[in-house]
Amino acid sequence: MGTQLSVFVENRPGKLEAIAKALAERKVNIRGISVASAGEYGVVKIIADDPNLAYELLRESGFTVSRRSIVIVLIEDLPGSLYKLLETLSGRRVNIEDCYGIVLEEGKKAAMVLEVEKYPEAERVLQQGGYKVLTDREIHSI
Amino acid sequence: MSGAYWQQGIETIRRESLEAEQLELINRSLQNARRSPFYAARYREPGAGILKSLRDLESLPFTTKDDLRRSFPYGFLAVELGEVVRLHSSSGTTGNPTVVYHTREDIEAWSNLVARCMYMVGVRREDVFQNMMGYGLFTGGIGFHYGAEKLGVMTIPIGPGNSERQIWFLKEFGVTVIHILPNYALRLYTHLESLGIDPRRHLRLRVAFIGAEPHSEEIRQKIEGFYGLKAYNSYGLSEMCGPGVAFECPQQQGMHLWEDQFYPEIIDPQSGRVLPEGEEGELVLTTLRRQAMPLIRYRTRDLTRLLPGPCPCGRSHRRIDRIKGRSDDMLIINGVNLFPIQVEKTLMKIPEVGSNYRIEIHEENYMDRLTVKVEVNPEVFQGTLAELERLQETAAERLRAETGVRPVVKLVESSSLPVCEGKAQRVFDYRKDAPAGGQGRGHQGGAR
Repeated sequence: MGTQLSVFVENRPGKLEAIAKALAERKVNIRGISVASAGEYGVVKIIADDPNLAYELLRESGFTVSRRSIVIVLIEDLPGSLYKLLETLSGRRVNIEDCYGIVLEEGKKAAMVLEVEKYPEAERVLQQGGYKVLTDREIHSI
Repeated sequence: MSGAYWQQGIETIRRESLEAEQLELINRSLQNARRSPFYAARYREPGAGILKSLRDLESLPFTTKDDLRRSFPYGFLAVELGEVVRLHSSSGTTGNPTVVYHTREDIEAWSNLVARCMYMVGVRREDVFQNMMGYGLFTGGIGFHYGAEKLGVMTIPIGPGNSERQIWFLKEFGVTVIHILPNYALRLYTHLESLGIDPRRHLRLRVAFIGAEPHSEEIRQKIEGFYGLKAYNSYGLSEMCGPGVAFECPQQQGMHLWEDQFYPEIIDPQSGRVLPEGEEGELVLTTLRRQAMPLIRYRTRDLTRLLPGPCPCGRSHRRIDRIKGRSDDMLIINGVNLFPIQVEKTLMKIPEVGSNYRIEIHEENYMDRLTVKVEVNPEVFQGTLAELERLQETAAERLRAETGVRPVVKLVESSSLPVCEGKAQRVFDYRKDAPAGGQGRGHQGGAR
């Protein structure tokens, strides 16, 4: 399991920029980013190479930020591999609350970042399905 | 009931007789009041509080809304509970509501008062009255209803909302008199226009009662122009009874405050000093005939002045001016009274909400819109969109349950709302007619 930073922001210009700036200044590397928007506000989700430092930096800059557990699973960067992954999960009734994908090596490797309802169960299902779930250390240096 | 007066003798009584009667009634009221726990404690000595002149009233302490709240539930009750036939209450349960009790005689006196007011402006038994104000704990709807029935006019207890149905009744029954929120009257007019109905030609309206919320002279004249009727302002508060405390006569120059029922004083809200006639200050009222719950020198928090001089209508009861504002921070949103403290206490009970909040009131299409900006508490934030949406919904629903007004809740970051030193300004009222004055009111028409 890994850690994702979730930042509550009002939907106003400059928010993403301010987040990126706070992290860049202390050389924190963003490995993945996604935004869930509800119109007037949203949640910015970030996978950082040093999630604890990133958390502190964002808090210091006045952001409302939370650390959430996520699962990152490796799949092949080929047609059908996402479908197979989702088939595995839904077949075992694992519900996905949010997800986004990152290509790691074109044509070879990709990572799916998943927020799920039940973590230990999701990991178990994926491992039984033959998938590699990244550990915390592996995630933050993908 | 002859001519223009429901009760000519009372309405046109000579001032000397009225004042003599008032002194007697105040003393009797003081005696009655002593049967309640609150006033019994306040006027402990048996001889205490017998006034020799009306001016002696100034030596007695005030009664405040806080006194009422803290004495919940029966601290002010001066009769046996079995004598009480009605209870009215302010909304909300945060920090105790204000409850007012009535005996049968109290209800009779109140109904008669409203009948007197309606008769004064020309309502007669042959009229048809549509009561478009809320019934329930709110005294406005029921107060007028009982007064109308006392007068003998056919009353349609339709309550507010559902414009199509309101219009249907107005047409079908040839309604001549309505009781309505001034802003709703303006909204309804646009509705009528869109249906091709010209009230001046297609409806039979003659009189409108629009006193339920503060409004300007301009608004009154607009309503009169649109509908081809006379629109009358009035003043009331549930602590006295409800509507009927003060009412405009056909002169429409101030509202006659019924001095056979209530004794008015105008005070400096800061010092408590009684001000001379004509000066603006806070209205203080003493009930003269109430049985279940007499109130002595009750601070209404409403700012106005007593208009000097006689009224051409011949009534000797003094008039008060249009209410200028409040000496506290109470707001009126679409006719509903709301205190910022209610918002604060409701929000404080929601752990996901931070301590900073802001209340904004705008007017759109003759409708007051309440927005509450609420800070997301960084310590409790779990990181999902779903929780934020739930928070928005929970906050809006709880605020509605507490205040009777459903606000738009906007979630803001903790850095967004300006931090103020000392007492934070929480309320920003951007409405055109927002009365000035009072603590915690925002700037009119401008953002900070």
